[in-house]
Amino acid sequence: MSTGDNPDTTGRIKSALRVIPNFPKPGIMFQDITTLLLDPKAFKDTIDLFVERYKHEHISVIAGIEARGFIFGPPIALAIGAKFVPLRKPKKLPGEVISEKYILEYGSDCLEMHVGAVESGDRALIVDDLIATGGTLCAAMNLLERAGAEVVECACVIEVPELKDLIDYLQFD
Amino acid sequence: MNTHKILFNSNVVIQRFSHSGNFVNPLKSPTPSFPTTCQKYQPISASAPPAATTARHHFHTYSSSSHMAAPTSDDDRISRITSAIRVIPDFPKPGILFQDITTLLLDPVAFKDTIDLFVERYKDKDISVVAGVEARGFIFGPPIALAIGAKFVPMRKPNKLPGPVISEEYSLEYGKDKIEMHVGAVEAGDRALVIDDLIATGGTLCAAINLLERVGAHVVECACVIELPELKGRDRLGDKPLFVLVS
Repeated sequence: MSTGDNPDTTGRIKSALRVIPNFPKPGIMFQDITTLLLDPKAFKDTIDLFVERYKHEHISVIAGIEARGFIFGPPIALAIGAKFVPLRKPKKLPGEVISEKYILEYGSDCLEMHVGAVESGDRALIVDDLIATGGTLCAAMNLLERAGAEVVECACVIEVPELKDLIDYLQFD
Repeated sequence: MNTHKILFNSNVVIQRFSHSGNFVNPLKSPTPSFPTTCQKYQPISASAPPAATTARHHFHTYSSSSHMAAPTSDDDRISRITSAIRVIPDFPKPGILFQDITTLLLDPVAFKDTIDLFVERYKDKDISVVAGVEARGFIFGPPIALAIGAKFVPMRKPNKLPGPVISEEYSLEYGKDKIEMHVGAVEAGDRALVIDDLIATGGTLCAAINLLERVGAHVVECACVIELPELKGRDRLGDKPLFVLVS
């Protein structure tokens, strides 16, 4: 029986997360994974769940989104023998990079990847702690596809509540 | 009180968004190997005899058992790790030779060896917390923490950690910076390791040590992949031991 079939496992992971209201700004319920990292068994189970899912999928590269994707991506990469590629905010990566712009609620941001890190034909997984609107993950997918990789899947610990629920919450009160 | 369900979905599959506009034509086929147009870093002591300083070892064990493939010697592992690191001149500013570990992460054997070398050193030292300095410390710290069964605590730039934090300011060449840690993440009596990819002047590591000691943890050692000895970070750490793989 794989780890994923055990409700105690996922239950423990869920309980280890915490929600911080009004961070980074009023109205946002921030999903904090740092408490998960303080529970070695739950952290290990989290990684094991991903590894079990991907170990036979011939994944050659794991791309992790700065900064919390750097916490979950490398342990998965190490377990399945894949390269780890950091996707970073502008000007952090030294040397030649490719950039992808993406839209935020107000304004835009940019994600960068090293030229040459990913090759045509690489089978890629993108990892982040959480998916909200999906803007960052889309930018990440574009970067990998531009470099010729096939994005097999995106994997996150948390998916935030449905947009509809979010709108309901923001209208409450 | 309005509560939110936290959805944990172990089968997250993202619908592919179709992009209108903003789609960039794919690059021409990238070069087959990671460009290394800059000068390779020449390690000072990758195969030198053991240094006399505390907590810096150079192992020379080699198993010659005929019953199984001999495990890779520590020197061979260090050699492979050293070769996998690349140097980018004039980054982030002119005159700086930047030690780039991202090429190490592209070599699964060398990356695994890096982690194994740390794990072998710390697994029997009753380490209860591994503190990793943002952001490259987040790459090396968690695999070590997972292997030795310790907590992982991220040390972050200001305003990144949600909830109550403690901060420690430290000096830069010009000006100051700050790192933060969550209140309650580390407890009095915790035995801690501090991890970063590289030690230069030691300013960041000192700030990290201070944060941990302020909450009553005992910092057992600082561990980095790379040391830049000419910047004397080791001296700045004072009596705190430092362990590095490449210098």
